[in-house]
Amino acid sequence: MYDIKPLEEEWKRYKKKKMKPWYVLMVLFLLLSSTTLFFLNYKDLILAKLANIDNNVSVSLDKPRQITVLVDKSLTALEVKKEIIKKEINNNKLKIKTEASSAIDDPMKYHHPNAKKVSISITEPVKKVVKVEKPRKKMHLNIIKTTSASAYKDVEKRFSDTSDVDDSLFLARTYFDKGNNKKAIYWAVQTNKINSDIEESWLIFAGAKARSGHKNEAIRILSSYVKRSNSYEAKALLKRLKK
Amino acid sequence: MKSRYEAAKNVFIDSVDIDDYIELNSAVAAYKQLEHSMNKPLKMILLFGRPGTGKSILLNRITEKLKHQKEIHYFDTPAIDEKEFFHKLFKVLTKKNLPKNTEVNFSALVDFCKNLRGKREIIILLDEAQMYGPEMMEKIRLISDTRVVKFIVSLHKTDDEDLIAKEHFQSRIWEVIELKNATKDDQTSYIHKKLLKKNLFEIANSIKDKDMKLIHAFTKGNFRECNKLIFTIFEICEYYDKNEPSKIKYDQISKRIIEMAALKLGYINV
Repeated sequence: MYDIKPLEEEWKRYKKKKMKPWYVLMVLFLLLSSTTLFFLNYKDLILAKLANIDNNVSVSLDKPRQITVLVDKSLTALEVKKEIIKKEINNNKLKIKTEASSAIDDPMKYHHPNAKKVSISITEPVKKVVKVEKPRKKMHLNIIKTTSASAYKDVEKRFSDTSDVDDSLFLARTYFDKGNNKKAIYWAVQTNKINSDIEESWLIFAGAKARSGHKNEAIRILSSYVKRSNSYEAKALLKRLKK
Repeated sequence: MKSRYEAAKNVFIDSVDIDDYIELNSAVAAYKQLEHSMNKPLKMILLFGRPGTGKSILLNRITEKLKHQKEIHYFDTPAIDEKEFFHKLFKVLTKKNLPKNTEVNFSALVDFCKNLRGKREIIILLDEAQMYGPEMMEKIRLISDTRVVKFIVSLHKTDDEDLIAKEHFQSRIWEVIELKNATKDDQTSYIHKKLLKKNLFEIANSIKDKDMKLIHAFTKGNFRECNKLIFTIFEICEYYDKNEPSKIKYDQISKRIIEMAALKLGYINV
């Protein structure tokens, strides 16, 4: 008869050795799961951070970050906390006026309800630092304003990375105001693809369509939106288009 | 008190006892093939297979079955030297013992065999033939050329011997019968039949299909290894039954016990 005890001990060691790879796999699985959960929970923050790194803008959650936005009349749509740090005005002053009166000249143009008349005098290259507070994330941002054409490209690039509707809507609005209907339509559609409930994108799209000679299409699209949303703004624009 | 596992353990003591022979599908096929080959006018037949595939028991069984119909002789253990082998052969051929202090003259033996042509047909089963040297094998071949003595040569098939055996016998052997390791199903029915033969139904029933799978994996279908493993398993069961009954389930053999037996026999290591 065997001395069974040493054999039992040997079996316990064998079992431990056999189970080792499974324990390792379990630990790896737990690690992977927790990493995935962490990533899913903080996805927005991580993606925003990565996007900002790509744009060569340093971002810190604790400190205010700086991003570049375009100075345009449509900027009035952004809720800018008016803590504008004034810079000295040099020679060759370039006056950019955001005037709602220009829209009155154009019967196809819609009026943004939040649009305010802002008159900013800036130098070229114009750079102003403003503090913007995003209500949801409660992050303090320092925004450097610029009018350079490449900045539009920056916003487009940023949109391709982040798919942020604020960017696409901004581009749609800007191009619409500039009279570039084709691009306005394109960016309105991009905005609509991400969030079809943004009224402004519908209005820009219809307005740009009408201006580019597709009035019937604009009326059709706007009518369908009015049916869906019963929007006052959309109704007003539809009325103007039908005249 | 006697443990129920004691009887079960003893069933698997390795032996070539013909009474313990278990008729399996693969063994039946090999038996028929060998019997058929023996009826052909062949001089030498090679029975080939890895150790523990059932060559010896097959030779034993065929001897038992045919001993009243044919002049058949089973040389189970190889002769130590040539002299001893020819003494045995002399006895088979002449049915007389060789007188003391005399040696067999090989040429005279061959002539004697030639004289027996048409009168007798002798079958000699040589087990463990890998133990015979090449010179001896040449002499065996010359005797078989007389067509009086037919040799059935049983050889171990190991990795090294495989080539040697093939090269040595390819030109001389007319028929090769290869015994393969048992399949899982064959091995299962082997274990069950062995236990049922001794009326150990409950114990046979306690070895489930998954256990058979594990046993087959450890023993690779080798009957000798299978006997060893099952013997050890029942020995461990017997210990628990007598000393620590709480550690054993009577309606099944636990995987732990099978693995402990495998550790004991070195199939697995820590």
